[in-house]
Amino acid sequence: MDQTCLEVAGLWKVFGQKPERALELAEKGQTRAEILDATGCTIAVRDVTFDVLRGETFVVMGLSGSGKSTLIRCIAQLTPVTSGGVQLDGEALTSMSEEDLRRVRREKISMVFQHFGLLPHRRVIDNVSYGLEVQGVGKELRRERALGVLDVVGLEGWGDHYPQQLSGGMQQRVGLARALAVDPELLFFDEPFSALDPLIRRDMQDELIRLQNEMQRTIVFITHDFAEAIKLGDRIAIMKDGALDQIGTAAELITKPATSYVREFTKDIPKAKVLTAGDVMHAADGEQPRGSVSLLATIDSLLPDLLTDPRPLAVVDDHGSRMGVVDREAVARVLDS
Amino acid sequence: MTAEAPPATGLIDARGLARVAPWLVLIGGVLALQLAFGSRVGFPAALDTFFSDPVDAMGAWIRSNRRSHPVMTGFFTPLTNAIDGVISGFETVLLWLPWYSVVAAAFLVPARVRMWRAGLIAAGALLYTGLIGLWEPTMETLALMSTAVLIAVAIGVPLGVWGALRPRVEKVMRPILDAMQTIPAFVYFLPLLGFFGVGAVNAAVATVIYALAPVVRLTTLGIRQVPPQTVEASKVFGSTRGQILRKVQIPIALPTILTGLTQTIMMALGIVVLAALIGAGGLGENVFQSLSQRRTGRGIAAGLAIVAVAMVLERIWRSLAVLDPMQRTPRKWRLYGLAGLFAVTLAGRIIGSVDFPDVWNLTLFDPIDQVVVWARDNLSWLTRPVNDFLVAGIIVPVRDFLTESAAWPILIFVTGWAMWKVKGWRLAWFGAASVAMIGLIGLWELSINTLVQVVTATLISVAIAIPIGIWAGRKPRIEAAMGPILDALQTIPSLVYIIPVVILFTVGVVPGIIASVLYAIVPGIRITALGIRQVPEESVEASRTFGATPRQTMLGVRIPLAGPTIMTAVNQVIMMVLAMVIIAGFVGGGGLGFETIRALTRSDFGLGFEVGLALVLMAMILDRYTQAWGDRLQPPSAV
Repeated sequence: MDQTCLEVAGLWKVFGQKPERALELAEKGQTRAEILDATGCTIAVRDVTFDVLRGETFVVMGLSGSGKSTLIRCIAQLTPVTSGGVQLDGEALTSMSEEDLRRVRREKISMVFQHFGLLPHRRVIDNVSYGLEVQGVGKELRRERALGVLDVVGLEGWGDHYPQQLSGGMQQRVGLARALAVDPELLFFDEPFSALDPLIRRDMQDELIRLQNEMQRTIVFITHDFAEAIKLGDRIAIMKDGALDQIGTAAELITKPATSYVREFTKDIPKAKVLTAGDVMHAADGEQPRGSVSLLATIDSLLPDLLTDPRPLAVVDDHGSRMGVVDREAVARVLDS
Repeated sequence: MTAEAPPATGLIDARGLARVAPWLVLIGGVLALQLAFGSRVGFPAALDTFFSDPVDAMGAWIRSNRRSHPVMTGFFTPLTNAIDGVISGFETVLLWLPWYSVVAAAFLVPARVRMWRAGLIAAGALLYTGLIGLWEPTMETLALMSTAVLIAVAIGVPLGVWGALRPRVEKVMRPILDAMQTIPAFVYFLPLLGFFGVGAVNAAVATVIYALAPVVRLTTLGIRQVPPQTVEASKVFGSTRGQILRKVQIPIALPTILTGLTQTIMMALGIVVLAALIGAGGLGENVFQSLSQRRTGRGIAAGLAIVAVAMVLERIWRSLAVLDPMQRTPRKWRLYGLAGLFAVTLAGRIIGSVDFPDVWNLTLFDPIDQVVVWARDNLSWLTRPVNDFLVAGIIVPVRDFLTESAAWPILIFVTGWAMWKVKGWRLAWFGAASVAMIGLIGLWELSINTLVQVVTATLISVAIAIPIGIWAGRKPRIEAAMGPILDALQTIPSLVYIIPVVILFTVGVVPGIIASVLYAIVPGIRITALGIRQVPEESVEASRTFGATPRQTMLGVRIPLAGPTIMTAVNQVIMMVLAMVIIAGFVGGGGLGFETIRALTRSDFGLGFEVGLALVLMAMILDRYTQAWGDRLQPPSAV
C-alpha cells in the first residue's frame, strides 16, 4: 500500500468578499495585514503543503490566530477551501460531490473536537455509536461496538450517563471513543486537550500514545502547546500567520530551527529530554568508542556516563550494528545552542 | 494610526457645530411646519376613500363569490370542512368520554414518561373546570385550542427549521412574523370571515396566524443555537443533512422549541375570549357574559378555566416531546393505565354516568364580587383622583395638543428625526412614511388618541417595571415570590381583570390604561430582571475589587451591561400595551380599539383593514425605534 495517506497541496483559505483579489496580492508576496487593508479579506491559510504518512501522527502547532483550526477544517472539508487540493488515499476530497464526501467520511474519517462536540440529548453510549448509526449499522452491533470502545478508553460502566454529567476529561474520552468506534483510517484532532486541566491533559496524552501504539492510525493533530506537539508528534509543522514555517521531527526543529519563530518555541524545551543519541551522533573519528547505547536513548540518560568518562559512546540500532558515536563535545554543542 | 490631527480650533468648531446642527434643523423644521400648516391642523382627508374603496370592493367580491368561485369551492370550502372536522371531532370525543376518563387521560399521558407532577397538574386543572361548573364550555375550548395548536406546530416547526437553515428565508419571514404578532388578534377575524365564515374554524385559523410566530421564531433560534462543533462532529461522521437535522439539530433545539410552543399556547389562550365574539362558543362566552353583567367572580372563574386549558395543553405537549425511551414508565404500568382507562370509560358509558355532576356551579368566586363592590364604594377617594389626573391632566391635553394645536406634518417630521437619530436615514424615511400613511388612511385623530394612551400606559409600565425588575434581578427570592402574581397577570385573559377595574373606575380611558399596565409590566419586570442577572459575575467582581459601593456597581456596571436587555423589556412593554389598548376599546377607551370592534360587529372589511394597517404601522414604528435604541446600547462586538 502507498505510504502516503493524506496529501495537502498548495492549500489557501481566504475569508472575505474578494478572495481572488486577495490571492493575487498574496502571490505577489504581500503580507496578511497589507492584504486585509487592500481587500478586506483575511488570509487564514497560506499556501500550505504537506504529506502525512500512513500510521504517522502529524502535529500542526501554532498560536491562536495562526490559522491551524481553519487548516484542519479545510482538510476535513468542514469549510470550503479557496484553492489547493486535499487528497486522501489518492482521492481528491476537495473536488468530491457531497455524496462521495459523505461516503469517504463514513468509511475513513473521524474527528475529535476541542469542546468535545458531544450530543447533549444522547447518552454516552448513543454518542459513541453515532457514527455507526449514520452508517446504518444495526442496533445490536452498534451497542456491542460502542461498549467495546468505551472499555478501550477507560469508560466502562458510564454508557448510560449523559455527557454533561461527566467531567471534562471523561467527556473528551467519550469524544475519543466516538471517533474510534467507526474504526477510521484517518483521525483529526482539533486541540482536543486544550480545554482540560494540565494533569488530565497529561493523562489523555499518555492515553493517546498508548492507543496509537496499539492501533497505528494516521492522525492529524492540532495544538497550540509545543510540549504537547513534541510529545505526540512523529513530525511537527509549525504554523504562523497561516503559513507553515517548518516541518520536521521534534529533534530537527530543536537542532535546526528554520526561523527565529521556531527557535522561540524550542528555546524553553529541555533538549536533553527530547533529543536522542541518534540525533547527536556523528561518524567515529579515530578514538575508540566504549560500550554502546541505543539510537533512541535520550541524551539526559547518557549524561552521567559521558561526564564520568571522556571517551565517546558507540550508538547502535536495534540489530546491534553501529551507526555512529556520541561524545561530550557533540552533546555540549547541542545543549548549548 | 495614520490619522492626522487637524488644527485644534477647527476641530472644536466642527464638533460643536455637529452637535448643535441636528437641534437647529429640528427646531427650524418644526417652526417652519407649524407656520405653514398651523391653521389647517386636520389631516387632509382626500386620500381616505382612495384607500378604503378598493378594500371594500374586495370585501364585497369575496362575500358574493364565497359559495361559487373555484378558489373557494376548490380550496377554502374543503379547508374549512377539514378544520371543522378536526375541531368537532375533538369536541365530540371529549364530551362523549365520561368526565373522569378525560381527567384520567390528562394524568396518564404525562405519566407515560414519568412526568407525575405534570400529570397531576393537568388532571387537577381539568377537575377544577368541572367543579366550577364549566365542564362543557371547557371541552369546547379545549377542542378549539388543541386544533389551533396542532396546526400551529405542523406549520410552525417546519417553517422555523427552514428559516434556521436559510438565513435569507428568515430575513423575509421575520418582518411578516413581527407583523403577525403585533396585529391585534381579532383584526384577523375580519378578512377571515370572508373565507371561513363565522364560528370556530375562523377562530382557529385566526389563532394559528396570531400564535404562529413564537413557535417559528424559537424553532429557528433553537436550531441556530446548536453549537457549530456539534453539527460539524455529526458532519464528519458522514451524516446526511436529514440525519443532522433529525438526530442532532431538532433534538438539541427541542427545549427551545417547547418554550416557543408554550408561548404559542399562551397567545392562543389570549384569543379564546375574542373567539367568542365571532361565535366560536366555549369559555370566551362566559367571560363576555361576566363583563356585561359586571360579575368579577364569574369572570375569574371562567378566566381560570381558560388558564387551566392552557396548562393541560402545555403539560401534554411537553410530555409528548420526551423521546428518550429510557424515561418511559415500565411497559407493564403503561398497559395497566391504558386498560384501566378503557374499562372505566366503558363502564361509565354503560351506566350512563358521563356528565360532570353539578357541584359548586360558579358560586365559589362570587364573594369576590362583594369585595369589588365594597372597594368601589369605599375607595373612591383614591380612584377618583387617579382617574381625573390621568384623563384631565395627561391624556386629554396631550391628545388635544397633538390633534388640534400642532400641525400634522410636525409629527411626521419629529418621527423621522427621532428615527434618524437612533439609526439613520433608512429608518427615518420608514418612520416618516408610516406616520404619513396612517394619516392617509384617514385614521389620524383616532390613531393619535390611541397613541397617547399607548405612550401613557407605556411610561407608567416602564416606571413600575424597570425598578422592580432591577430589584428582582438582584434578589432571587423577591423574584420567586413575585412569580405567581406575574404568572397570573400574564395568563389570565385580560378581559377578566378589566372587569373589576371597570367597576372601580367606571368605563372610559383609565380602565384600559390600568389593565394595559397590569399586563405589560410582567414582561417588563421579567426581562429586566433577566438582564440584570445575566451581567457576567466577573465584571461585577472586578468592579467590587476596585472598592465600588453596591450603588456604584449597579449604576456603573450592572445597568449599563444590562442596557440592551432592558431596552428589549421596554420594547416588549410597548407591544403588550399595544395589544391591550385594543381590548380597552371594549370598556370605553375609544380610539382604534373601538373602531375595530365596530368594524367587526358590522362586518366592515374596509374599516377593519384600515384600522389593522394603522395599528401595524404604529407597532412597527415603536418596535423599530426601541430596537434601534437597544442596538445602540450594545457594546461593539468583536470582529
